[in-house]
Amino acid sequence: MIELTFYAAAAIAVIATAMVVTCPHPVHALLYLVLSLLAVATVFFTLGAPFAGVLEVIVYAGAIMVLFVFVVMMLNLGRRTVEQELRWLAPGAAVGPALLAGVLLYLLLRNLWGLDAAPVGLQTVGAKAIGVALYGPYLLAVELASMLLLAGLVAAYHLGKPEA
Amino acid sequence: MNAIQFDATQFGAMLPMGVLSATIVAVMLGIAVRRCHRVTAALSMLGAALALVCALPIWLGGTGPVVVTPLLTIDPQAGFYMLLVLAAVLGVLALCPAYFAGYAGDREEIYLLILLGGLGGLTLAGASHAATLFIGIELLSLPMVAGVAYAIHDRRALEGGVKYLALSAGASATLLFGLALIYAGIGRLDLGALAAALAGAGADTPLVLMGGAMLIAGLAFKLSLAPFHQWTPDVYEAAPAPVAASLATVVKVGVFAVVLRLLHAGGGTAAAPFVNVLVVLALASILIGSVLALRQDNLKRLLAYSSITHFGFLLIILVAPGAGTSAVAAIYLLTYVVTALGVFGAIALASSPAGARDRELLGDYRGLFQQRPWVVAALTLMLVSLAGIPVTAGFIGKFSVLVLGVAAGQWLLVGGLLVGSAIGLFYYLRVIGALYAAPPSGSPAPVATGATVAVRWSAGAVMVLLAVLLTLAIGVYPEPLLQLLRP
Repeated sequence: MIELTFYAAAAIAVIATAMVVTCPHPVHALLYLVLSLLAVATVFFTLGAPFAGVLEVIVYAGAIMVLFVFVVMMLNLGRRTVEQELRWLAPGAAVGPALLAGVLLYLLLRNLWGLDAAPVGLQTVGAKAIGVALYGPYLLAVELASMLLLAGLVAAYHLGKPEA
Repeated sequence: MNAIQFDATQFGAMLPMGVLSATIVAVMLGIAVRRCHRVTAALSMLGAALALVCALPIWLGGTGPVVVTPLLTIDPQAGFYMLLVLAAVLGVLALCPAYFAGYAGDREEIYLLILLGGLGGLTLAGASHAATLFIGIELLSLPMVAGVAYAIHDRRALEGGVKYLALSAGASATLLFGLALIYAGIGRLDLGALAAALAGAGADTPLVLMGGAMLIAGLAFKLSLAPFHQWTPDVYEAAPAPVAASLATVVKVGVFAVVLRLLHAGGGTAAAPFVNVLVVLALASILIGSVLALRQDNLKRLLAYSSITHFGFLLIILVAPGAGTSAVAAIYLLTYVVTALGVFGAIALASSPAGARDRELLGDYRGLFQQRPWVVAALTLMLVSLAGIPVTAGFIGKFSVLVLGVAAGQWLLVGGLLVGSAIGLFYYLRVIGALYAAPPSGSPAPVATGATVAVRWSAGAVMVLLAVLLTLAIGVYPEPLLQLLRP
């Protein structure tokens, strides 16, 4: 069962990502992007990495949802854009993502009530193990990643400044 | 669970990175308190110089490799590449004050970006784990994206920045996928195991073969080897001259340091399929780089093609087995860094007050000799060195690689090197010809008064002068350097 979940979630991730790339409307593409991230999170869960899965849902899917809202807000400029938004968010657009998400949900529920839910990977890596690894052998990687974030911050600050 | 602890040796080994990180934080706080271009520049250069001093004992000390957690292994080779990266960072920083003096927007962030890129280079020099490899490469590329697009309101800069961002992210993703495939095959992430897997790859390890191919593609992009070179001329052209210098020196030295650890660990070569791929990459880089440079009228684009060709030459080292080859790589990269810094430095000096556009078209240089004789003289020497003409550092580097290629019997690549050098001679001399040509008729005649001919002293001018002296010193009397680099 868990193998089936793994393969189905992986397939959904690939399909959804392909739709992200090919969708002409940014809003539709974002819908598929959220779904793709949820599918990847499911893959993490089936592989026995619940922490990575949770992070994927909170950070990526959550942040993308925020981005989604921002896009809608920024496009909300007048009557014409409101109509355009309504067209974009027509119920028909949600059918594809909803169908794929439904498959994910079904698999998730089946696994929740299933008896043996051993991960596909050899072991489950919990949050504690990740914390120990990050502040043990990978300490310097954490420090360097903070410098990388700083680089991104400086770059974004400089490039995002309005013209003087 | 015990907390991780470092002893004094490990702290010493990490000192260059620590000093550079502290400098970054100090510079950032300094900018936050008060924007002052000169103070920022001075502080950045001071920090980089301090880190350079801290890296010296690692290289000269000759102690065995110091393992600092599984992520970093600092040995004398790492020390040498740290020195080279820091020297390049210092050279690039020296160019900035004069170059950005007339820039209308905020001038201070460029120092932060260059220092952050330098930290990425240091990380790569000491990397011994896939995690540090990846973070190092990202830390090297990400600040450069902002550096290329620094004058963001200029359309060209924006275009170059977007190109570099998208393509470099694609290359990083390829590299990461390759690492993941190799990890799936061997179950380990330390570079020693990765290098061993790449050296022993064959038809029975398809995951390693495929992962290795993607890894090489990702790294080849960062080194701008053909056929992954298309971004190079556009980005070099769009970037401000100091950032282009950083792309040509800091980024490439850092990536090559880690390539040596991956594909040339302990003087061995990678498995036969990878060696064939490297030979093709090298030949393609040499030929494509030389041929495309032939009719190029933009000096920065020409230098981009020239750097593609130069790293094609350098790949000979990766396919030639033997313990001494690492020393040849060190010599070649040292001469390349000195020359590249000199040539971009001269361009920066020639164009800094010019404003929106660098002085980059060959037409812009016509008649410059009458106005800025010293800059043109330095530029000439650097171009001669890039061409690999004797009495300059470039000759020593190229000659060592040639000797190595002959000794290893890589006749195809040796032939490529000779053909590439011959073509190179033509296009470098074409530039030199333009430098000394009479100014185009119709432009106002230059007035050779004392004020214009006099040297305009700045940190950048000192750096170019040092590069000139070093190029001549290495070219005329290379023996001490060769002694120092040969273990």
